Amino acid sequence: MPITAEMRETARGKMHAESFSSRFKVFWKNVYRSLFRYGRMPRDAEGQSYAVFNNLFLHIHPVKVSKHSLKFTYTLGLGVIATILFLILTFTGIWLMFYYFPSATEAYNRMLDLRSSVDFGFVLRNVHKWAAEAMVAVVILHMARVFFTGAYKPPREFNWIVGVILLLLTLMLSFTGYLLPWDQLAFWAITVGTSIASYAPVLGEPLRKFLLGGDTVGQEALVRFYVLHVVILPGLMSIFIAIHFWRIRKDSGLSHPNENGSSARGGAT
Amino acid sequence: MRKKQNRTQQPEIDRRTFLTALGWSGVGLSGLIAALGNLLYLKPAVEYGPPTRIRGGKAKDYQEGIKEVLENERVIIVREKRGFAAISSTCTHLGCTVRASDAGFECPCHGSQFDNDGFVTGGPAPRPLDWYQVSLAPNGELEIDKSVKVPPETYFKV
Amino acid sequence: MREVNTKEVFPKNSNKTYGLMELVKGTKPTVGLQPDDMVFTWPHLLIRELVLFVVVAGLLLVAAFLFDAPLEEVANPNHPPNPAKAPWYFLGLQELVSYSAFAGGVLIPTLIVVALILIPFIDRKRIGVGVWFAKQRAFANGLFFTFLLVMLVLIIIGTFFRGPNWDFVVPWE
Repeated sequence: MPITAEMRETARGKMHAESFSSRFKVFWKNVYRSLFRYGRMPRDAEGQSYAVFNNLFLHIHPVKVSKHSLKFTYTLGLGVIATILFLILTFTGIWLMFYYFPSATEAYNRMLDLRSSVDFGFVLRNVHKWAAEAMVAVVILHMARVFFTGAYKPPREFNWIVGVILLLLTLMLSFTGYLLPWDQLAFWAITVGTSIASYAPVLGEPLRKFLLGGDTVGQEALVRFYVLHVVILPGLMSIFIAIHFWRIRKDSGLSHPNENGSSARGGAT
Repeated sequence: MRKKQNRTQQPEIDRRTFLTALGWSGVGLSGLIAALGNLLYLKPAVEYGPPTRIRGGKAKDYQEGIKEVLENERVIIVREKRGFAAISSTCTHLGCTVRASDAGFECPCHGSQFDNDGFVTGGPAPRPLDWYQVSLAPNGELEIDKSVKVPPETYFKV
Repeated sequence: MREVNTKEVFPKNSNKTYGLMELVKGTKPTVGLQPDDMVFTWPHLLIRELVLFVVVAGLLLVAAFLFDAPLEEVANPNHPPNPAKAPWYFLGLQELVSYSAFAGGVLIPTLIVVALILIPFIDRKRIGVGVWFAKQRAFANGLFFTFLLVMLVLIIIGTFFRGPNWDFVVPWE
């Protein structure tokens, strides 16, 4: 069969197309490998180790964890749930900041706008609210879990204290956020709450003035609570969460029934 | 033995220890001053709220035994035989607004009760209602200074 | 230093691919600390975290569509609601404040925080770690459970059983 010019042309075209797609595949593989060096779903021990170890977001985890710490009936997942709630609250909170205005005359109107005018505004506000209420409850339950499993004992004393600080920060975050909608519920809850603080001897009244920026709950109080709620307390929270996680690893992972005196000191996992 | 010898030869604190301590105290002190400055910065210095000196109308317009509630100023002006009084309407329990009642004042939040002079007669309030200074402006109007508290039963005579 | 016995106790068996290397003297079995007890974070831990995230986010979305976050009228300093209540987690303290402002508002919260911080330095015996409600820890657990229960009861009273003037009311009437 003689080779015609037409056949030669199609063959050349095919070859050209193939080489383009294969070149693109190589290009894509290079891009992908520059991001993830150990494949999509590593199945061997080396790949699974590096998948965690070489990933900024995953390397807060050790490469290997004990089976016991994965038991849902042991941890009830409460610490992880609290973290998830904090992440969701950060995300929805930043989104809400696009519309919120810490002004005594404007804040309440923005609440009404979020509820009726802004697309999905009510979803963001509701998720933020319910996640905040859930976080207070989950953090308290997490503390109860740690107590009832004796997980605060040496070498984890310091991490228990970090946990207490995180509980207080959670309460303060919730409390400062309570004022921001500037409705009756917010105004009087903060009036009552800060009045309770003023019963502390000597420091009470200055503390109340310090928090409110004046004698009564007003514009100054709103700005102060806003700054605390969106910058200072979340910042502190992130730092202490980081310490909390870091200490879990320095204290040889989660508490374990087979621990003995010599093993749990300064594990380097 | 050697230790004793060292003591006699050397001063108790050598130069290095002294300078190190001095350096660290400098760092500590400046840190402390900086922290204090930041705290003072946050201390509310300026009152942005409504003015603390308010006018309460002509003194001669007040009848005896009247309790005039200035809602927005959170002050109740009382005219008694003994004179004028400006009593705060902020409950001393948890900061709610009290309202005038037959026996005196009552707080709707947690049920504290006060008599006409602001003394506690019932409920959880720990101390009497605040009294503010009353004076007379040149044009015959009452002037109340909310930044100056006076002891209860300090009536202002016209 | 651990005392190591280098004498071959069990002679090497050529049919086996493994052999006993050494004997180590110790007071406790180290079975639980062997690498066998460990699994890879990827995928075992990460898949659990992902599932939890999906469940939590899903539940929140459902709640967000079903229940609106409360929003009352605009703040009005002249008209306090009756009763004025703090956020729910402070209602236990507010209930105590209604008996004594100093004790409920300052003394008891301070004592709670101080006690919480001191717990791991008071109770240092490493028994009953890693088990729910260990029998050896019955006293400590009972104490903490009582504390949680009291707080819970106070919060429930403050939330549901306190009406106007902070008078006791029955919510279902």
